[in-house]
Amino acid sequence: MSRDEIPPGTLYLLILKTLALRGRLHGFEIADSIQRNSDDILQVEEGSLYPALQRMLIKDWVAAEWGTTAGNRRARYYTLTADGRKQLAIELSQFERVIGAVTRVIQTT
Amino acid sequence: MSYPAELLRRLRMAFRRSQLNRDLEEEMRLHLDLRQQQQIDSGLAPAAARHAAHIKFGNTARIKEKSLMAWGSEAIESFISDAVYGARALLRSPALTLVALLSLALGIGANTAIFSLLNAVLLRSLPVKDPGQLVLLGTGNGGGIGDTFVDTEIYSYPFFRELRQKNAVFSDVAAVFSMSSDVHGMLLDSSGQTNGEDEIIHAQLVSGSYFQMLGVQPAMGRALVDADDASEGDHPVAVVSQSFWKRRLNRDPNAVNRKVKLASTVFTIVGVAPPEFFGTKVGESPDIWVPMSMVRSLHPTWDAYRQNYTQSLDLIGRLKPGVSLTEATTNVNLLLQQITQSFPDANLSQKNLATLHKSHVLLTPMANGLSSIRGEFSEPLQILMAVVALVLLIACANIANLLLARSTARARELAVRQALGARRDRIIRQLLTESLILSLAGGILGIGFAILASRFLLHVVSGGFETIPLDISPDLRLLGFTFAVTVATAILFGTVPAFRATRLQLTENLKAGRGRANAGTRNMFGKALIISQVALSLVLMVGAGLFLRSLANLNKVDPGFNRENVLRLNIDTEPTGFKHEDPALNPLYQQIEQRVAALPGVKADSFSAFTFAEGSWGEGILVAGMPNDEDIAVRQNVVGDGYFDTMQIPLIAGRTFGSQDTSTSQHVAVISEHVAKTLFPAGSNPIGMHFGLGSHKPEDDYLVIGIVKDAKMESLNEKPKNINYLSYRQRTWGFGDFEVRYTGDFNAISATVQQAIKSIDRNVRIVHVTTLDEQVARTMTSNRLVAQLSAFFGLLAVFLSCIGIYGLMSYVVSRRTNEIGIRMALGAERSNVRNLVLREIAILVTIGIAIGIPAALAGDRLVSKMLYGLTGTDPLSLAAATLILLTVALLAGYIPARRASRVDPMVALRYE
Repeated sequence: MSRDEIPPGTLYLLILKTLALRGRLHGFEIADSIQRNSDDILQVEEGSLYPALQRMLIKDWVAAEWGTTAGNRRARYYTLTADGRKQLAIELSQFERVIGAVTRVIQTT
Repeated sequence: MSYPAELLRRLRMAFRRSQLNRDLEEEMRLHLDLRQQQQIDSGLAPAAARHAAHIKFGNTARIKEKSLMAWGSEAIESFISDAVYGARALLRSPALTLVALLSLALGIGANTAIFSLLNAVLLRSLPVKDPGQLVLLGTGNGGGIGDTFVDTEIYSYPFFRELRQKNAVFSDVAAVFSMSSDVHGMLLDSSGQTNGEDEIIHAQLVSGSYFQMLGVQPAMGRALVDADDASEGDHPVAVVSQSFWKRRLNRDPNAVNRKVKLASTVFTIVGVAPPEFFGTKVGESPDIWVPMSMVRSLHPTWDAYRQNYTQSLDLIGRLKPGVSLTEATTNVNLLLQQITQSFPDANLSQKNLATLHKSHVLLTPMANGLSSIRGEFSEPLQILMAVVALVLLIACANIANLLLARSTARARELAVRQALGARRDRIIRQLLTESLILSLAGGILGIGFAILASRFLLHVVSGGFETIPLDISPDLRLLGFTFAVTVATAILFGTVPAFRATRLQLTENLKAGRGRANAGTRNMFGKALIISQVALSLVLMVGAGLFLRSLANLNKVDPGFNRENVLRLNIDTEPTGFKHEDPALNPLYQQIEQRVAALPGVKADSFSAFTFAEGSWGEGILVAGMPNDEDIAVRQNVVGDGYFDTMQIPLIAGRTFGSQDTSTSQHVAVISEHVAKTLFPAGSNPIGMHFGLGSHKPEDDYLVIGIVKDAKMESLNEKPKNINYLSYRQRTWGFGDFEVRYTGDFNAISATVQQAIKSIDRNVRIVHVTTLDEQVARTMTSNRLVAQLSAFFGLLAVFLSCIGIYGLMSYVVSRRTNEIGIRMALGAERSNVRNLVLREIAILVTIGIAIGIPAALAGDRLVSKMLYGLTGTDPLSLAAATLILLTVALLAGYIPARRASRVDPMVALRYE
């Protein structure tokens, strides 16, 4: 099974979208969710999730609180903030614009 | 997010870092555990699952670092931790740190010290309003008092008034007397009584517009104003300097309205100048400023306030906003033509008009003030600046080499850190922080060193009886300079070792512990450093050699008189009550000459107008039948009968002055050889011929009675000049100089001579007692300064280079112990091994010298003006420097070489 690196710059988008869909997740669940929803094609270098999450915390796109997992371990759960939702919209439209442009270029015959 | 809030958050984060760190670790641990569990569930063995989880996750250390970095506090925090770590690392190798610190302190300190003088002499702006708008009329090379038709350097007071009124380019103009007026003075108390002894006070005559034009506000009272200068003789007011107020007035808060007596006039103090204001001449700081209208109180014989054609003033203008220097020059020159011709007593002869039309005033920006010391010291200071900069470079090369050796020794530590995931730039930053700590510590030590050194330098430079009042205290520019030098050195010596240290074959280093993979290239860099050190040292040594030999050549110059065993002093006859040039003083002079001549140990004595380097009085001599050009200056010296014996200036023909030459007999003169050769008809014998001194009037007619050998009057490297000697019985002079040729002990003679003078008139004041030799030597101050300091720094450079060679070779030997062991096991002799190392040093030094020689030759051409009796290429200096360097370098290398030859093959082979 070939696994592809995620396109640069899309990590925020993936995290935001995942949180928008699933609400409250801890780091591992976010990584796992991205991988599964992309049918195992998108492979996040899982570690890089954490610096990204820290940056998103600073920018107030996500909020974090400590809770316990099903296995009764302490975990930091992330949820989307209002700013995060706005950012998701921005990132989405940017992404669509880029993808649309790329598609037009490669489909030109 | 607003900026202050952001800052606040970052600061808070800096303190909450450990919490943050713990949270992250926990989060990541959970992630890894869950992933591992997932892998186990899908059938992997626990160990393999753990491995897979880690691979999927990436480098934990680096991720943690990146996450924390998001919070931005990392920069500050890592700097602090780097600094602490660096300081600890430096303290672990105290010897290296000490050597590095000392060389840095010396290097930075020397640079700061020289720069502080350079700054004070050349760079500092005058402490006045908008100094950039100030221009001087002329080039600043004039001075004194003259009475010609036109002068473009100094000006008359009436000319100043006209110019101030008529010009269209200056917002104001001020006049400054071109000389400092040193007069006897004393402070009076409230009842008008003197308190204590009188003293020499440095007074400065200025126009009433002076303070106002400069925009200087007094610290107390008022400044001088135009009204103080409006009419002659009736404005005895003065502004005192801050230092005079502190020193002599004991910071009296009621200083205004106190009285000070200058010569015989009582002045009222109207104000105190602000602390930073020292006047407009760098290297002179007057005690007191007096309006030009009072010039006769200080100089009774000089009619400088009224006379249209008596020039004595420097003029300073403040350009109007928007006026260029060119426009101002045009306007000033137009006015020079107009005003010079406009005075009622103008002598509009053909010759005068021709001279006037040729005259052109140059305007010189004078934001940095005027200075008489600038001309003398700017070049020596620039040379010294270059010298100390080179020394600092050598010190940097040394430290780079030491750090390089050390970072190699630390290779394993660094490799481990990199393998554990530390980023390369992080390690480089840490190494650079270490360098920075080192150089900052060196810089701080250096500033301390510089403060001491610059005081000492100023003392040496002053050379005379008083220290030149220069402000060499650190200012912003100086501190900025030192800081820049410090940081630059850190970058210079720290960068390459840091980059090299982190460019590793990780596995090599981890495996071998003492990997030899990079030793070759790393040594290359070390060797390049040694070569450049040797080359720079050679340049400095050759330079020092040239300066020392110039000084020796100057010292060997025959001044035309005998410097040795002559006591000279100045006497001040003013307290005797006689006027300065009163012929009635002549009997006093003769009495002193006779009384002193009779003292035991005294061979000859005489008064004179000048001896050496004291200025001169120039006047043309007119010989019948010669195309006499009154512009050919002849230096006139007025002397006593014993002058030629005292100075031991040999008589060539005729006789010198004697008791038969009296005020009523025929005026006679003794001329120098050069005058006889150039100003009298060729082939004639000047003795018995007459000439006119400045004019053909009968009272200026002189008979030549003798010819003496040429003597130098101004400086040792001058060409023979025309000198004419007159007797003080026939040409009155207010003397200062008294010379005594003695045998025996200087101090004993000095005491008895002073006693004898006092016994004739106890009111005579004796000052500036020294030897003629000392007075001559003082003219070589700048040469001596450059020679001695460059010799000192040259030796320092060689010493530093030797440390460098020793350090590098020790390191090389220790790295090659294994190889040496093999060689010896295979039968190499000890001497072979030693020579192997010594040969390597010899090659390095030879390459360094080969590079240094052309550099030294090029450098010598730059300093040729400071050399005397040498051409730029002096084979002796070159050979000496080369020899010294080679010898010392081989000595420095001998110790490591011997250590190499003592290596025990068995130990060496087991070494690694």
